[in-house]
Order: sequence, then C-alpha cells, then structure tokens
Amino acid sequence: MTEPRDDRDTPGAAARADDPVWLAARLADAQEQLAATREILSVLARASTSQDDVFEAVLRNARQLCRGQAALINLSDVEGYRLASATDLPSAYADFAADHPVPRGRRTLTGRVALDRRTHQIDDVLADPDYNLPEFQELGGYRSIIAAPMIVDDEVVGVLTVWRTSVEPFDEHSRALLTTFAEQAALALRNIELLSALQSRSAELARKVDEMEALAEVGQAVSSTLDPEEVLTTIIEHAVELSGADGGSLLEYDEDSLLFRVRATYGTSDDVRERLATVRIHVDDSFVGRGATSGSPVQVADLSDIELDAHLSLLFEAGWRSLVVIPLVRPDRIVGALVVRRLTPGTFDDETCDMLTAFASQSAIALTNARLYQELELQRRELATTSQHKSDFLASMSHELRTPLNAVIGFSEVLLERMFGELNERQADYVQDILDAGRHLLALLNDVLDLSKVEAGRMELEVSTFPAVDAISSVLALVRERAAQHGVEVNFDATGAPDLITADELRLKQVLLNVVGNAVKFTPSGGTVTLRAWAEGSEVLITVTDTGIGIAESDRSRIFDSFQQGTRSASSSEGTGLGLTLTRRIVELHGGRMWLDSELGVGSTFGLALPQRGEPTPVEEWLEAAVDDSRRTVVVIEDDPSSAEIVGVHLAAAGLRPVPVRTGEEGLAAVRALRPTAVVLDIHLPGMDGWDVLSVIKADPDLAAIPVVVVSVLPERGRGFALGASDYLVKPVSKEGLLGAVWRALAERVDRTSDRRHAVVIDDDPGALELVRATLEPRGWTVTTCSGGAEALAVIREVNPSVVLLDLLMPDVDGFEVVDALRADRRTAATPVVVLTAKSLTAADRDRLQGRIEFVASKGELDLSWLASRLTQVAAEGATGDTS
Amino acid sequence: MSGPSVLLVEDNPRNLKLARDVLEHAGFAVTTVTTGEEALPAARTTLPDVILMDLQLPGIDGHAALGRLRGDPVTAGIPVVAVSAFAMQADRERAMASGFDGYLMKPISVRDFPAQVREHLRADGDAR
Repeated sequence: MTEPRDDRDTPGAAARADDPVWLAARLADAQEQLAATREILSVLARASTSQDDVFEAVLRNARQLCRGQAALINLSDVEGYRLASATDLPSAYADFAADHPVPRGRRTLTGRVALDRRTHQIDDVLADPDYNLPEFQELGGYRSIIAAPMIVDDEVVGVLTVWRTSVEPFDEHSRALLTTFAEQAALALRNIELLSALQSRSAELARKVDEMEALAEVGQAVSSTLDPEEVLTTIIEHAVELSGADGGSLLEYDEDSLLFRVRATYGTSDDVRERLATVRIHVDDSFVGRGATSGSPVQVADLSDIELDAHLSLLFEAGWRSLVVIPLVRPDRIVGALVVRRLTPGTFDDETCDMLTAFASQSAIALTNARLYQELELQRRELATTSQHKSDFLASMSHELRTPLNAVIGFSEVLLERMFGELNERQADYVQDILDAGRHLLALLNDVLDLSKVEAGRMELEVSTFPAVDAISSVLALVRERAAQHGVEVNFDATGAPDLITADELRLKQVLLNVVGNAVKFTPSGGTVTLRAWAEGSEVLITVTDTGIGIAESDRSRIFDSFQQGTRSASSSEGTGLGLTLTRRIVELHGGRMWLDSELGVGSTFGLALPQRGEPTPVEEWLEAAVDDSRRTVVVIEDDPSSAEIVGVHLAAAGLRPVPVRTGEEGLAAVRALRPTAVVLDIHLPGMDGWDVLSVIKADPDLAAIPVVVVSVLPERGRGFALGASDYLVKPVSKEGLLGAVWRALAERVDRTSDRRHAVVIDDDPGALELVRATLEPRGWTVTTCSGGAEALAVIREVNPSVVLLDLLMPDVDGFEVVDALRADRRTAATPVVVLTAKSLTAADRDRLQGRIEFVASKGELDLSWLASRLTQVAAEGATGDTS
Repeated sequence: MSGPSVLLVEDNPRNLKLARDVLEHAGFAVTTVTTGEEALPAARTTLPDVILMDLQLPGIDGHAALGRLRGDPVTAGIPVVAVSAFAMQADRERAMASGFDGYLMKPISVRDFPAQVREHLRADGDAR
C-alpha cells in the first residue's frame, strides 16, 4: 500500500514567493476561490435552500477550481458510499453508481478518506496496487483522483471527489480547496438538516396554532352567538381555510328522514349554493353518506374518475374536481359531514385529513349544542306566547264573568239586606242559595286567576315577618263559626310555635284557610280539626289533622292536581277544585313543600313546611326601604330584547327602575348621565363589547364606584372580576341570582363608601352581646356593648353610634323606654334603632314602635350575615327621618 | 233633605240599576249616564260630589273620560272613582296611576258600597 503523499507537487513554494507570474496566478486562484465560496454561501443563505442546490454549487466550483473533468459526492449509507450528486459525470458511470455503492475499506480512495478522516489523492489509480475498483474506473476513465471527507458531528457522512482523466496529480492548492469545499458541503448538509427539521417543526407549530385558533373561533361563535347558522358558517369557513382548499359545505344529518341537508357553504357561488340546498343526499346511496357511515375521511382525488351521485355531479358540473368528506359524529350518532373541495384534482394528504378530523370532532359538539339551544329557544318562545295568550284570555274571561256576577251577587245581597222589603223564609233561603252560588263562581274565578298568575310566574310574594300565632288564630276565627254549625271542633296546638314567621302574610292565610276549610268540610259532625304549628330546624311546620272520611291512597297523589278532590268530593262539595293546587303552588313559591297523610275512615293530615332561613333575602322589601327613588336606577346594557325584558321585569319587581339600552356606547352615555345605582351588563354587544364598557366604567374615577353585574353567556368569571365586575352571572339567570347579585353589589358599595360604622348593642344576655360583636366586628364595625338600658342611654349620647341594636326585655329600663328616651332627646332623635328580640311582639308593641325603629329582627331565627348587611345599609342611609 | 250627589257612568244596564238602587237606598242623589262621552256634560250640569266610572265603556273608555273631566276646570276637582270588573292588581295600579281617586272592584259588596263611595266625596260635599 502506498501512503498518500501530501506535498508532492509543492516543493520550493517559498522559493517562488518572489516570482511575479506565480504570484499573479495565486492571486487569480484566490479570487476564484473567494467567488466560489461566496456563491456557495449565497446558495446556503437562500430561503429555499435544498441539499441539491448546495451540492450542485459545491461540485461545480470544486471541479472547476481543481481543474478536474468530473466531481461527485458520495454519501454514506448502510451498503457503503452511494452517489448523491455529481457534475460532468459520464452517464454510464452515473447509471452504474446508482445501483452500486462504493464499498468501504482501503481499496478505494473514498474508503481511505472516510477511514482516515482526511483528504487523500492518488496520482494514477492504475499505478496504485492497492486501488481496486475496476468497473468504476473503466466507466469513469479517471487516472488522477482526489477526495475530501464531509464530516458532520464527528462522523464522516460523505466524500467529495474530483478526478482527472489523465495522470496529472493535484497540487497542494487544489487539495486545500477541495478540503474546504468538503467542509462547506458538510456544513451545508448539517444546516439544511437542522433547517428542515426546524421548518417542519415550525410548520407543524404554525398549523397547530391555526388549528387552535380556528377551534377557539368556533368555540367563540358557539358561545357568543348561539345562532346555529353563524356557528355552521364559522365551522365550514375555518375547515376550508385550514386545509388550504377552495370551498366547502357543511351538511347536517336528519335522523328521521335519513337525509343530509347542506346547511352552510363557503367559497361557493350563490347559484351552486341554492342548488345544493335542494339536492337529495340519502345516507344509504350517496358518497357523503358512505363517508359519514365509515366514520373516517373519504376522498375523491378526481371527480371525473368515479361514478357520481346527484350531489357530486352537481359539484362536478360547477367546476369542482376533488373533495374530501369528513364525518361529524358524536358517540354512536351521525351529526353531519364536512365536504371540503378543490377546483383542481389531487389528493388531500394525511395531515390535512387528520387535522380536519380533529376539527370535525369539535365541530360536532358545537353543532349539537347550537341545535339544542335552538330547540330550547324555540320552545321557550312558544311557551311564552302560549302563556301570554292564556293570560290574556283569562284576564278577559275574568272581566266578562265578573260583570254579570256583579248583578247576581249584588241583587241577592240587596234582597237579603231587605232594602226594599221583607222576604218570606223560603224566598230568603232561595236568595241565599243564589248568593252562595254566585260567590262560589267568584271564588272559582279568583282561584283561576291566581293559579294562572303562579303558572305564568307572575305571582309576586310580599314577604314580611309577622307574629305566627296571631296570623294563624285569625284564620281559625274565620272558620270556627261555620265549623260550629257543622258540629266540628277546631283546635290550635301552638306548642313549640315560633314567635314570628316570614312569609307573604295574606297568601299564607289564604293557604291555611283553604286547608282548614277543606278539613272542616270533610269532617262529620262531632269530629275535630286540629292545627299544629312548630319550628323545626330552619323551617316552620304546620299540619292540619281532621277526623274525617280520609282519602283513598289512589287519590292521594292527584289530590293536589287541578279539579281533583278525591272520592270524598262525591257528597256536597263547595270547593273550587283548584284550592289545593293553588295552595301547593303558593307554598312552593315560598320555597316550601306540602304533603298528605291519610287513612280511610280515620282522617287526614295535610302538612306544609315553610323555610325560614337560607332562603333568598327579601330583596324587594329591603330595597324598598333602603334606596330612595333617586337612587333606584339600574342601567341594563343588553342587545337581546327578550333578555333585557326579563332583567327589567325582575329589577322592577324589586322596586328598581331599569333603564334598558341596546349598545355599549348608549350604555356608557346612560351611565354618565344617570349615575345609576348599578349596571347590568351583557358582554356580547354590537359595536363596543361589554369588556370595553366595563373597562371604561372602571377606569373613570367618577363612575368606578358604580357596581357592574355582568350577565353573559360566556363563562369568563375570572376576566370579569379582573376587570372590576361586582358579580358575574352566566345566562340564563334566575330572578334570585340576578337580584342577589345586585343586592350584594349595592351592599358592597355601601361597605366601601361608609366610613362610620359604630353599633351600640344593648342586651342583658352576655351571650347575645358576644354574638353580635362576633358578627359585626369582622365586617369592619366598631361595637360597644351595654348590659342595661340606663347605661346604654349615656353611652349612646356619648359615642353617637350609626345604629343602636336593642333588646326589648331588660331588667332595669326596658327596650320600649330606651326608644322613648332616645326619641325624646334631640341629640339621639334621629339615631337608627334596630330591635333584636326574642319577645313575640303584640299588636300594641308594634303600635308603640311604629315609625320609630328601622326593623325588628327575631333572635330565634336570625341570619347573622343578613343582619350585618341590613345594619350596614341602615348605617349608610342614616336615620329614616321618620322619628315623629 | 238632599244627600250627597253621585254621577254614575256605567254601560251595563243591570249593574247600573244595582249601583243606582243601592246608592239611592243609602240616601245618595244619583244621576246616570251610559257612555264616557256623556260623562263630561252630565258632570258640568250636575256638579256631583263624586263620579263613579266604569272603565270599559263603549266609545271612549273610562280613562279617556277621566281625562276630559280633568281637562275642564269646572269638573277638574270632582273625585272620580273607578268601578271595574278588571280584577288584576296591575289594573288597579294602572287606574290609580292615571289619576283615579279610588278603585272599587266588581262585584261590589252591597253592604259596604255606600260607605266606600262616601269615602271619596269631595271635601265640600260633606257640608251639604
């Protein structure tokens, strides 16, 4: 083996340094080399650089500068070194080399270069006894040959070779040049690998980002518009754009008819769209149907190649050439299909199909949601219309029936009053029957009206807190006389009865009257009717037990339904048949429940439970008392008329004055002009959206204190609170939710603006004092406690508190006297007083306190946070002024 | 001796008769008309102490008739009480908001009706 010689043709280089011809030649070489390097670098710098471009530039320059006849690059592969790129290579050699890699090992120059990792040359391959590559040599015809390694990451990945067909060894200059070119080629190879890896990564990332954005936009469309048409259009638009196609359509599947209907299109002419809307696409005999049933994308690369169904031939005639069908499926169910089309033939690659499939699964959910919403909305509208018609009918019917009843009842009364003369006994009896029948009809009419009010959600409870025993006794007094006529005894067991009860007093009396009245009616002479009332947990329970005929089990479940009285109505019934239905609805309206226990022949017990705590604070009453007229305005910024109306109705029912506006711009103008007590704000608005409105309000020092309650379909509470919303409600909102949020917002505002909160608490029970202190102090109150009335009067004059909390029963000076003394003193005449007592107030007590205190809270059933809020409000509002 | 005077505006003949008979029996001097249009000229002529007005009337309704009465300085000060078979709370509120002095719902209570009407008599009517 011949060791390659490195410096064969360069002896005496230093000796020629002063030779101008030699120097001129070297200069020309250097310039050529510089130009070549620059060219290769510029190729590398090009954006669309490929391996071939770089190799081509390297090979051309290497061959030229090394003055060879051919140049080639072999890249390492499993079998050896395979020809990758070449310039000026005999075609026979190229053909042979394509199938025959150069083997590894020292018998080839390439092998030697790779093993030694450095540049070698052979002056004459035919004279080299170790060189053994006869076919290659014969086809290439080379004699002198030089090769340099391409090293990437410490590994020889290829070899750059230049040859001459005559024996003409390469000089040192060529050797250095080729070494440099090989390094550049290697570098280029590495850069290109990196670059393409990077490019494919970033392409993938970019596509992911696009995909995410598209999905997010679809999600946004779903949650913000809930308009199915808009959702569908958004879906198909993004599907087409994501896949770089020319157009598409979204088909919805109807399970009943087994047909697909084109619901939305993109990039499709109006004419084609109209025709698509009418084309019949059956699941069993259409291409789309096949695709949807298969559950994965199916495509047609060229529509002219296959047999077309009606749908596809319509598309083909309109100029479409290729398409892919992506099924929209939910578990076990076809929802529809996406058809993405191109105007040119060609396949949709796997990536596009995968991406569309991912997109489709999201879209299927969006589509289902939108459809559900649409159905619900439709039902809601139908119900609202029906309900309105019913209400109108009832109001009109009531009027028409009441007019003749006025005469029936009125003239009967005239006769029974003997206004115009005496009646004989039988006449009087008959006229009484006429009058009773007339009143029965009137009661029926009233029950119908009440029931329709409850069912239309229009019955408003006027909740107050009143003495329980008094109210129940007054009801029993009404029925006792009639019961006595029937020989029925009516008892009231008030053991454990609460002092106070919180309910709509008139409605509760109506309920009790009905239940007790029924019990009396169905109890035979000699029987008893017993009413029991007691507090249990957070409820007041009332039961009415009779010793009547009982109710068969089969009738029990339907006894609360309209016009059902069970078999016991077989005899003489005067009920309207609506009484128990109405009764139960009123109890339920209070958040309570009704039940029935009965045993045939033994009797029946009707029970009802009314929650006393944990129920929504009686917002209406509270606002009524706390907020004067000028401060009741609430600006409602909502573009959807029906939503605005619902919010407005709830606010109005709470004594607030809703000012509805449709856009963010109008809303801001209204807020600036009215300085409302609160703002109810929708997010999705035409033009300026709710986020912007919220930001503007909160950034304006004059408006920032106005509480804003956001009401939106978007579940973005975090963003809402971050922007300064007082509360964030997701539609649909309930009345309680809305009023609760407004109420809390107002209370917080009071909290922020009130700088003076000092309570004097007067109670002889140390436990009660501590309870109030523990409740108020964490809420920013200063609490001064007094154990007796005399002490308290001095303290109150001294500290001038924002509110006085007063027990009524105290050993020395009782609460009434404290109130008297406070009101008599000019300095304390206006100090708000709240009575907190375990005493059951009598009518006389109430008269005595009337207009002189803020409100009465019952110790036994106190909601402390409720108390704290009301006290805060009282403190902020100052005295009622009604201290006369 | 002449009792307080009342103008009754009511289109339903039976209800007109009932109210008239009950009030006359209670000592009122009763004038009746059956349309809203007749209310103003009748009121100008008789200057009653109180006017009882049905709301649903042929031609102009009770609200419009009230407007005419209030628009005429001669009759503007006469109390006008609605007597209606509209039974909803909202009906009562609407009537009170539009300026009626009272609202009595049909069917009337024969026993209480005269007292209820008397409550609304013009202040100087008590002197008669």
